[in-house]
Amino acid sequence: MRPEGRGPNVVLLSLTLVALAAWLGLDSVSVAANRIVSGTGYRVDEVIGAGGALATSLPWLALAGLAWQPARRHLLLALALVVLMLSALPGWLALSAVFLVDGAQARLGIGAGIWVVLFLLLLVMIELRSRLALTRLLGWALLLPPVLSMGFCLARWLEPLALWQEYRGRSGQFLGAVGEHLLLVGVAVGTSLVLGVLLALAMRRWPGVQKMGFGVLNFLQTIPSIALFGLLLAPLAWLSANVDWLSALGVSGIGWAPALLALVGYSLLPMVRNTFVALEAVDPGVIDAARGMGMSRSQVFRQVRLPLALPVILEGIRITTVQAIGLTAVAALIGAGGLGTFIFQGLGQAAMDMVLLGALPILLLALLVDALLGALTDILRPGGAE
Amino acid sequence: MIELIHVTKRFGAAVAVDDISLSVARGELCVLVGTSGCGKSTTLRMINRLIEHSEGEIHIDDQQIRAFREETLRRRMGYAIQSTGLFPHWTVARNIGLVPRLLKWPTARIQARVEELMALLGLSMEEFSGKYPHQLSGGQAQRVGVARALAADPDILLMDEPFGALDPITRESLQDELCELQSRLHKTIVFVTHDMDEALRLADHLVVMHQGRIVQQGRPLELLREPADGFVESLLGGEDRGLKEAALLPVSQRMLPLGPRLLARERIGQHASLREALSVMLWRHAERLTVVDDDDMPVGELSLRRLVGARSDE
Repeated sequence: MRPEGRGPNVVLLSLTLVALAAWLGLDSVSVAANRIVSGTGYRVDEVIGAGGALATSLPWLALAGLAWQPARRHLLLALALVVLMLSALPGWLALSAVFLVDGAQARLGIGAGIWVVLFLLLLVMIELRSRLALTRLLGWALLLPPVLSMGFCLARWLEPLALWQEYRGRSGQFLGAVGEHLLLVGVAVGTSLVLGVLLALAMRRWPGVQKMGFGVLNFLQTIPSIALFGLLLAPLAWLSANVDWLSALGVSGIGWAPALLALVGYSLLPMVRNTFVALEAVDPGVIDAARGMGMSRSQVFRQVRLPLALPVILEGIRITTVQAIGLTAVAALIGAGGLGTFIFQGLGQAAMDMVLLGALPILLLALLVDALLGALTDILRPGGAE
Repeated sequence: MIELIHVTKRFGAAVAVDDISLSVARGELCVLVGTSGCGKSTTLRMINRLIEHSEGEIHIDDQQIRAFREETLRRRMGYAIQSTGLFPHWTVARNIGLVPRLLKWPTARIQARVEELMALLGLSMEEFSGKYPHQLSGGQAQRVGVARALAADPDILLMDEPFGALDPITRESLQDELCELQSRLHKTIVFVTHDMDEALRLADHLVVMHQGRIVQQGRPLELLREPADGFVESLLGGEDRGLKEAALLPVSQRMLPLGPRLLARERIGQHASLREALSVMLWRHAERLTVVDDDDMPVGELSLRRLVGARSDE
């Protein structure tokens, strides 16, 4: 075997070369005369000429060179270069806007080339982070310069960016939608956490509940979400028509009520399963010792079983939350609000940028929650113990 | 002192422990030995009420164990098990301090006690107190387990195959340490094992169990010399019994005072077992050994004839 650090880092090298190919070969940006017509795509060389395009490939070649001999010093340089390139991307968009866009109605779209490059650069960053054994926190901090750069460019030059235009047209609505989305997810996950823990405890106590509980929850999980919304429509409409206090609360066949019910239904399975498995999986020897030492039942539960199960339970909360963030998008179909509204409106108007306005924040939210809860799980795992 | 009087345990229709009576005197190390499923662990766990007995009475210092609250009873007894049962999310020091904390000792006293125990078990405070169980070797973890069992200085120690999962060398050294500890602390210990060598080595009082019953109990040598039946005999190793007995007897018991003859070249310590002496003879092709004391000074001699000879001089 070759010693660590010798020989090219194949992952980095191939990611870099593929990204370079995408950068030069795919449409980088597109320009449309107005919101409705589809835009014309431009490759890099069509924006700044062949010479300019060759010049922009220099940092890529430098990155490939660093990956060829991946000593730690080179990898650190590569990381700095990647952060720099990510920060330069908004600048590139700004440059394209200045070169290509004229007319107040014209809009700049982000092309496939940039999306692919963005994705691959982030992969490169992840690879570098793990090679250099950087902490999670530092990894996130490194994303700050690109984000700041994007903010700066948006304020100065990126007026015509289609996504930005869509946002500015409905910024109030957007913030409201984010709020609704988070509220739905929060309430659904919170409710299913409470119900899930209670159910898991009941299952541990009564084996009968366990069999039936998992049967029902597994069944719920197999119903497609849109079908479930449909199924809930009739009974909820009937309830709100016949029960006064429910209709006073705002419960009806469409809106937040069926969405919340469905979300809780879907969230219960991962929540219950993880909580149950986590509590069951605690080493019986440890429990035996705890009781043999004279801990009371509640002491065993609070001081031993629960803390040992906590990382796995948090894992359940993480999975559930990420899943709920995605599912809530579908709930917009039945008028529950949230970011899904933009997706479906955008689809209806064939305005892809509006779809992105809904989809991108959902993606970011999911990633953010994933990272936060992942970090929390790490903190709660003492001494790196399993 | 622990007393079991006609104790029976049933799980449904199955009888796990069948009408056993057993008395463990204060300061005695009692080993329950038998094949798996013979009821030895069940018997142990009935003493601290992890399993409730179905019939009969169990007494601790002349009081029925059911007169105590379960938790109170258990906090009075040390408990060590094969898997150590150390809490993986607690440091070594916190694990050891478990029972004192349950008994609400003041923090300073717990701290002092933990330090004392770690010294007693040969665990350096600065190296180990902050470590987590998964960072320990099997032997170290088991030492921490024993320290935890001793933490509140209980009179009674219950040990359920504590050395069962260790490699032979670590196991033997921990057995020696336990003997050494016991000679200083004089706890009343009930020790469960399926390993007859371990049982013979540790026991003051040896109890052989089979199918939920006690088939024989007594001093290890008594059992070796007069096994009650074929089962006990086979458990004790059948033809191997001579060697097992030799392992229990020290050289000093069979040696003769130094005679006028030249000292034999091969030497053996006076605390070594006859089995070790025999092994030296076989290995060195020697018929005579010089017995030496701890300072390597000759104190006697042992011949092969003496070694295998009459039992009358015991």
